[in-house]
Amino acid sequence: MSISEYDGWVARASTTSDVFNAIAEADRREILDVLMTGEMAVGAIVSDLSMSQPQVSKHLRVLSEVGLVRCRADGRHRLYRLEPARLRPLHDWLAKYEQMWNARLDRMDDYLQELQQQGEPQ
Amino acid sequence: MTANRHGSAVVELPDDLSVLITREFDAPIALVFDVLTKPEHVSKWISPHGCKTKECSIDLRVGGNYHYSFVTESGTECSFRGTYLQVEPPIRTVETWVFEGRPHLPAVETVELREAGGVTTLTNRMTYRDKASRDEEIQHAQGGQDGVGESLDQLEDLLRSLLDPAGR
Repeated sequence: MSISEYDGWVARASTTSDVFNAIAEADRREILDVLMTGEMAVGAIVSDLSMSQPQVSKHLRVLSEVGLVRCRADGRHRLYRLEPARLRPLHDWLAKYEQMWNARLDRMDDYLQELQQQGEPQ
Repeated sequence: MTANRHGSAVVELPDDLSVLITREFDAPIALVFDVLTKPEHVSKWISPHGCKTKECSIDLRVGGNYHYSFVTESGTECSFRGTYLQVEPPIRTVETWVFEGRPHLPAVETVELREAGGVTTLTNRMTYRDKASRDEEIQHAQGGQDGVGESLDQLEDLLRSLLDPAGR
């Protein structure tokens, strides 16, 4: 393939990976889980999780940078909400790969069942 | 007895270098281990439907090599090989892994099994040299979509047998 095609391809992969990086961290995934229930202030997220406020704020900053959460001011509070559409490319990106593994493990599963129905050879 | 299908595999990216695949099987751990490591078993399921197993050799000991390959209906041979780094029946093997179609993306594969209540959970962790390699490997599963280029189209043809074994 030509160099320019290669560049575009790598760039796309790494853009998607920013979202990957953001959710690679277990604490950040927990925050996303909590935000699935709806819009929340930092304090409410802190009280739901065993993390300090500075930790939560730091993670929220990372999640905001990649667009996984959006923030708006409500009086003195800043409210955070999940931006589920941003998870979509991630899902799509992995879907084909997941299909490949599923096909392979389905074959293995079928074979295991076949063996067991035959009554466990040796 | 009718075995249960334990749903689909869960694919996760636990860190920058790895892909972690988890799947449950309704079978005892010893049998799952055999099916993963004995050539007479592996040759029965490793090849996608419509592909013909060509090679399946497994020397299951530390430093031993394995090699399996299959030929797609269009005649493309897909070959995978590696060397065992750890062998601990029936709970773990660690091996190098390379798909000869993409020799620049070698990985270390860690296969672990645990059994609870007659259900065996398989975790397969593929660890690449760097994040770019891992992402490239996943990207390959996308095939040639978005007009990435002809060489990826060829790769897609090659991968289609892996991705979509049932339909052609």
